[in-house]
Amino acid sequence: MSIVKQVILNADEELRYPTPGELKMIRTFCKSGGDRIQVVKHLEEKAPTIVEKGTRQFWKVCPRTPSNSGSRLKTQSAKRDMSWYIRLISYCLIAGNGQPLQDIGLTGMKELYANVGIPLTNILQYLKCLKAEAIKQLDEADAAEVIPYFDQIIQEIALPGPPYFMNDGPGESVPV
Amino acid sequence: MQDAITTLINSSDTQGKYLDDGSLERLQNYFRSGELRAKAAMTISANAATIVTRTTAKSLLYTDITAPGGNMYTCRRYAACVRDMDYFLRYATYAMLAGDPSILDERVLNGLRETYNSLGVPVGATVRAVQAMKEVTTEMLGAEAGKEMGLYFDHICTGLS
Repeated sequence: MSIVKQVILNADEELRYPTPGELKMIRTFCKSGGDRIQVVKHLEEKAPTIVEKGTRQFWKVCPRTPSNSGSRLKTQSAKRDMSWYIRLISYCLIAGNGQPLQDIGLTGMKELYANVGIPLTNILQYLKCLKAEAIKQLDEADAAEVIPYFDQIIQEIALPGPPYFMNDGPGESVPV
Repeated sequence: MQDAITTLINSSDTQGKYLDDGSLERLQNYFRSGELRAKAAMTISANAATIVTRTTAKSLLYTDITAPGGNMYTCRRYAACVRDMDYFLRYATYAMLAGDPSILDERVLNGLRETYNSLGVPVGATVRAVQAMKEVTTEMLGAEAGKEMGLYFDHICTGLS
């Protein structure tokens, strides 16, 4: 969902035209469109390097991990997943918000990795390494556009999410 | 609904690819027209009531449809007609901003012909009014933005008939 779509849906919700403020937002969004397309091109160009070097760094920090277990399939899948996250970030740059990343890559992500047996802490570490590598590979202006979306993924994994059970106060600590 | 940007992202994602040069070119064009679209939306929103008034004056007033026995006769029906004109204009503006007609299909045209038929609203007169609205907005916005809006008014007419 791009911000244009968001503005339209909000306006329609209230049966009104987009406000001058919202239209100004669309204008600015379009004006910076050309620059964002350039960032996407740079990111796409650097993506293989970011994944390659980021992976090596990750293995240094976290050597005992499925992708480093000697299974070629697991290594390839891990690198593919990471390059996909970078691709989703390129969509976000174009859409002007993090919604494509959320819809395609983040909703259900924890459940997916739990299901295939990849420890989330390792994924977290992996993404931090990629983020660091992206900062190294991209110039400062490009990195400033790209990094918030890496942070969005990292936040999604790092934050605990809703609790599994309610704390009902003292006296009920032993499960029945 | 879709817009020019979301459509391209979705089709690239189903192939697992970055946006290719063709898509980026189309995006670039959309971004370039952003100024024009936003300006047009601003003008329409400021003059929506005027546009609707001029449209009815141009296409519907003092014809059989407003005479006793016509489908716009009685104030209640007249008001409903004006409200629908308002809706057409607003949704056409949304579609123009998005650069994509899908919101018209989903939120206006879906079931509209059947509704009009069951209420006895003549489709011919409606299409005539939408075409008049196209002319009125083009006069107001100028040729370039008017042409863009025209696409979506035509989309409404095609969907109705």
